Amino acid sequence: MSLEFLNAFKFMKKKTFVHNLDPRVKLLFSIIYTISAMLFVEIIPLLLIFLSLIPIVLYGKLFKQWIKSVRGLSILILFIILLNTLFISLSFAIAMILRIYIMVSAFSIFFLTVDPNDLALSLISMKLPYEFAFSFSLAFRFVPTIANEAQNILDAQQSRGYELQKKGLINQIKNLFPLLIPLIICSIKRAFNVAEALESRAFGCRKTRTFYYNIRYSIKDWIFTLYLFLFLAFIIFIRIQFNILPNFLMWSLPV
Amino acid sequence: MTSEIPIIMMRDIDYIYPNGTEALKKINLNISKGELVGIMGKNGAGKTSLIRTLNGLIKPTQGNIYIENENISSKSIANLSEKVGIIFQNPFHQLFANSVEDEIKFSLKSISLDKEKIQIRTDHILNQFDLEKYRTRSPLNLSGGESKKLAIASIICRDPDIIVFDEPTLGQDAKEIEFFINLIKNERKRSKTIIIITHNIEFAYEYLPRTILMADGQIIADGPTKEVLNNEFLISNTSLVLPQIQQFYFALLEQGFQEVVDKMSKTEMINYLRNILKKRYSKI
Repeated sequence: MSLEFLNAFKFMKKKTFVHNLDPRVKLLFSIIYTISAMLFVEIIPLLLIFLSLIPIVLYGKLFKQWIKSVRGLSILILFIILLNTLFISLSFAIAMILRIYIMVSAFSIFFLTVDPNDLALSLISMKLPYEFAFSFSLAFRFVPTIANEAQNILDAQQSRGYELQKKGLINQIKNLFPLLIPLIICSIKRAFNVAEALESRAFGCRKTRTFYYNIRYSIKDWIFTLYLFLFLAFIIFIRIQFNILPNFLMWSLPV
Repeated sequence: MTSEIPIIMMRDIDYIYPNGTEALKKINLNISKGELVGIMGKNGAGKTSLIRTLNGLIKPTQGNIYIENENISSKSIANLSEKVGIIFQNPFHQLFANSVEDEIKFSLKSISLDKEKIQIRTDHILNQFDLEKYRTRSPLNLSGGESKKLAIASIICRDPDIIVFDEPTLGQDAKEIEFFINLIKNERKRSKTIIIITHNIEFAYEYLPRTILMADGQIIADGPTKEVLNNEFLISNTSLVLPQIQQFYFALLEQGFQEVVDKMSKTEMINYLRNILKKRYSKI
């Protein structure tokens, strides 16, 4: 088993329209798509929202990594289908899967296209205190490191006969401990090391600081922001006027 | 101790990581049963990728690996880990149990042993590694050296035929290195095949009979350690430095000591210096 799918959240430098957008626009993009996904429990509107993400994925040349993030959710998807079909309905299960795919895809696009350094800058420009902005960008920067570490832990445990896939739900949950405990311990240790390294470099000794370069909102950022707000307005409109819209939007699987 | 039958055979091994990095290129290698082999090279040379192919953690993109004449391409990691035990650099990547004793038992549970045998083997290994006094202690409260010892113990207890160490001397004090040296001596007496990845040139020069030198995913030299590590051309290509004894040899040569012999061992060098001092003092 590979934890390769976590790389779907690792920033990759490319020169595309999506990569060149301001990080704030991309944060707004992820938030608006998440809100949109939360507004519906019907399959068709969620499917349409999901499909609207695909051109952005293709335009940003992110298809390979995006597929990894989608594939990586397979175990979670299995749980959702099982529980929702048992207790509610299959239609609801599919809608929930689409909702998760939209949210994961939106944030996957964000993480894949935003340089952690730019993220800190954009948060500071949104008047967030520097310490918080830095912590956020640091957490974001450590996603691939933790993914790497998780893979190393898995390798080390497998080298002494550990098998991740075991039969039975309880066994599978119990089986996660040999992975999660070392991962948490290593992460805590790293956090302490980073904190000490930062303090030894006088982090936070002054309230204000200067930056090597600044980020600016360009015309394409404004255009994309406008598109996002129009998209949100349209989605809200559909939600409110749902009853007068064509019936196919409310289609669900026969029970 | 060493038999001529290869326990590991690699034929035209290539490995390309999903991100396109070519980690291994056309690797051909034979390692005999009971051999002690070092793998050296600069970071990113492909050393760790090479050992990860041995128990199926990564599957070669091309080529075949045979362990005891059996092609391992269709074998599972769990299956292979009974024959090949890999001890990775960071012990904290595998320690998770409530106590040192449980940590050893976890490793033993995946091989078909009954409770009684697991207990006997656990007791034996705790004694062998001098970890008895920490039996009930949490593995996370051990020092760096002790946790490394525990990580090694948790693999050795499974009694694999091939033992692979990734940087075993890293961060170890002199006493811990001495313990490790005795351990590999004992394991060789039991005909175990041992592979050691190391950057510690002095350790390799002194204790490893054979060294494989890697650069850019390829094997650039494979032979007796003294031949490989004294080759200035090879060393300069792998970000290593000549062993101190060889540097000392060059320094002596520069100072006009013509009788000094190339590729001396530590003992030979001591004897040589003793003779020079004897001659000098006898003149006085």
